[in-house]
Amino acid sequence: MSEELRGKVQELIDTMINPAIAGHGGFVDLVDVQDNRVYLQMGGGCQGCGAADVTLKSGIERLIKDELPEVTEVLDTTDHASGTNPYYTPGKG
Amino acid sequence: MDRLLLLLPTTTYRTEDFLAAARTLGVDLVCASERPNTLEAHLPDSFLTLDFAEPDRAAAVVADFSRTHPVRAVVGVDDLTSVAAAAIAERLGLTSSGVAAVKTARDKHQMRECLAAAGLPIPRYRRIALKDDPYLAARGVAFPCVLKPLTLSASRGVMRANNVDQFMAAFRRIAALLARDDVSVSGDGAQFLLAEAFIPGIEVALEGLLMGGKLHTLALFDKPDPLDGPFFEETLFVTPSRLPADVQARIGEATADACAALGLAEGPVHAELRVNAQGPWVLEIAPRSIGGLCSRTLRFGTGMTLEELILRHALGRPIASLDREQRAAGVMMIPIPRAGRLRAVHGEAAARAVAGIEDVTITAHREQELVPLPEGWQYLGFIFARGESPGAVEAALRDAHARLSFEID
Repeated sequence: MSEELRGKVQELIDTMINPAIAGHGGFVDLVDVQDNRVYLQMGGGCQGCGAADVTLKSGIERLIKDELPEVTEVLDTTDHASGTNPYYTPGKG
Repeated sequence: MDRLLLLLPTTTYRTEDFLAAARTLGVDLVCASERPNTLEAHLPDSFLTLDFAEPDRAAAVVADFSRTHPVRAVVGVDDLTSVAAAAIAERLGLTSSGVAAVKTARDKHQMRECLAAAGLPIPRYRRIALKDDPYLAARGVAFPCVLKPLTLSASRGVMRANNVDQFMAAFRRIAALLARDDVSVSGDGAQFLLAEAFIPGIEVALEGLLMGGKLHTLALFDKPDPLDGPFFEETLFVTPSRLPADVQARIGEATADACAALGLAEGPVHAELRVNAQGPWVLEIAPRSIGGLCSRTLRFGTGMTLEELILRHALGRPIASLDREQRAAGVMMIPIPRAGRLRAVHGEAAARAVAGIEDVTITAHREQELVPLPEGWQYLGFIFARGESPGAVEAALRDAHARLSFEID
């Protein structure tokens, strides 16, 4: 089951998610699928980006859940502190 | 399911905490930023692009969106979004302070005009056009004074001048700052600065929530590091305040009076005041919550975050308690010591090992070009502590900070 789900998630990442976030120099890698939970790692412009949370939770997770309702949660395993080229760098307005 | 619209600038520190609160509340979340999200084309129900600098236009876009996606509440997470959030709320009839009041509070000169008219204790002030001759402008002020842009926050561009030469240098520095590409100001904010009397004394920050025009004080922070210039970098915030109860009460009253004078009635407010023998002086009333990651010091009732409290108020949901936890808490905004590129950070584990330290979060990324105050607007990171007393919290924060070192070249 997990392998089948993993394949479907990977396909979504390849066909829909990564082509979109590539516009900001970003990408996500599928780390694992366990108990219908999807573990992702963000890289490039997404790693450390001030908008990474929005993109993951309101974007990527929503897309995956819309297409694959059996997914219960999408979790970020990224070490954002190690990002060296985030697309947006946070600061106080 | 309630639909919540969050106004999240792409560069705000506040995203993670507001998103977490929205998840806790189980709302249908719509995120609006000033630039399109890369997934907006795939998820037009989840993302909006709004020009926060054009509140009326932003309100029109959201009004159109809400015809098919009714919005229950709108919350702007920081200064850049406060006027747009109020304009949207006003257009849709949602809970918020009025847009006129929020606009007044966003402009330091308009705010002082309003507070002065109400007879509230504020420093003597004067608005000066950036096209004016700085030498002549300096002759019209008393020293020491503080020069500041009209609309920037986080002490950006705020400088003390003790004489004409320092005034002229600060004047020119603010003019250059406002011309930078990374500074987004328009209208009066781009054409004027404010010069006001330097008020000696200690500084405090009051975090409050306005509900139906009544100010509820959520926390009063002491700022133990002296803020006497030449720049005004905020570092330590510790709560509860160690000031006598009667002084704290007067600070609360002055803030409530200022909010009432401005016409602010709903939502979070972050106030900065000076306190000396003459009493509290209102420096700033911002219609937003505390900036950076500092809200992580605050817990209410049985553990509610400040962001959840703000969202509950906006959504009209019950709030079990506005009482902050009993323990003392504090944060250090780690200052940028000098300009340069951040190469490495050392000592994080040692800093975390200090008793009372809850977390050390480095927000600057490796290889980031660092800009210190007064031109900068970022921090290296944040240190959080909790303890049995404000003194213990302050000591823990200082100890942890001393264990960190930053390679910058």
